[in-house]
Amino acid sequence: MSRSSRAVVTLPKTAKRGEVFSIRAIVQHEMESGFRHTEQGVRVPRDIIREFVCTYNGKEVFKADLHPGVGSNPLFIFYAKADQSGTLEFKWTGDNDYLTIVKQAITVL
Amino acid sequence: MRLLGQCALLGLLLTSTPFLQADSRVSAYALMSPTNQAMQNDMSLNPAMFWIMDGEALWIDRNNPSSKACVDCHSDVKQSMKGVSATFPKRVQGKLLNLEGQINQCRTTRQQSPAFAYESKPLLALSTLIAYQSRGLPIAASKDSAIDADFQKGKTLYFQRMGQLNLSCAQCHDDRAGLKLAGSVIPQAHPTGYPIYRLEWQNVGSLQRRLRNCMSGVRAEQYPYGSVELAQIELYLMRRANGMRIESPAIRP
Repeated sequence: MSRSSRAVVTLPKTAKRGEVFSIRAIVQHEMESGFRHTEQGVRVPRDIIREFVCTYNGKEVFKADLHPGVGSNPLFIFYAKADQSGTLEFKWTGDNDYLTIVKQAITVL
Repeated sequence: MRLLGQCALLGLLLTSTPFLQADSRVSAYALMSPTNQAMQNDMSLNPAMFWIMDGEALWIDRNNPSSKACVDCHSDVKQSMKGVSATFPKRVQGKLLNLEGQINQCRTTRQQSPAFAYESKPLLALSTLIAYQSRGLPIAASKDSAIDADFQKGKTLYFQRMGQLNLSCAQCHDDRAGLKLAGSVIPQAHPTGYPIYRLEWQNVGSLQRRLRNCMSGVRAEQYPYGSVELAQIELYLMRRANGMRIESPAIRP
């Protein structure tokens, strides 16, 4: 049983062939660094997203490794080139079986 | 030509009358970097949107002893809650309540459930959702004369020195607004954007969290969450910022 959370991806519904379009992907996550302590002095265990991957029709177009220094609710803004119509898949994986997948279609004109 | 001269004279007269002077009040929005401003304006960049989404889920949640969701009494949040946060804190059944207090009052009486803890996720989700419906509207602080005494107390607290550093709110936010504390410009302390997503907190937080934050900063004993003193300061700040546009949920560094 994997944990998931809200994620919002913003990209155009359509693009011209060869056009470079912008993608924004933001996910709700506390990104608990593992370095903090409670008021009682107990260490809060690390709970972060480790990896973010974006694939376009199964082909990897963007990938990022995340570390404890990354802030909560990480936002990525990146670009892809419109080849053909299809699906972009956004996948966040992390500690404690964290997994969030968002799929978005794009039509190439 | 003579007409033009008369117009200019009239203009001069108008601008010189005190109540027509330009508003010198500025939201801390103006002090932020363009990237942070963009993050606040564009809800697809503003992380507080997740709290709004959580709030929308809670708005229709009937999982409580009375099986009543917010939507059952208040219907569509976009209609019913428009401008509501602009009027709090106000007097509800003889008590001064801020928005969080009002949410919890509904929660305990109508939903017969234990009150949400301050700064808990569900309370912040609901207050962010409700405050978001007033985005762009002017603050319309309660003019109720029955809470004038609370306003006066809030004002006294605002001007009262406190803590080991022996500073009042006014010494920084009135007298030294626009100057610097450490590396940051001191804002005028207008509650236009609450609940805010503060980058330092990595989280959404209420106005009371911000007030308590300043109190610990001057090494004073913080008033507890939900205390009447914090609500009184909130009331003073809201009347002081009356007419300014609501930015909730704002981004602050």
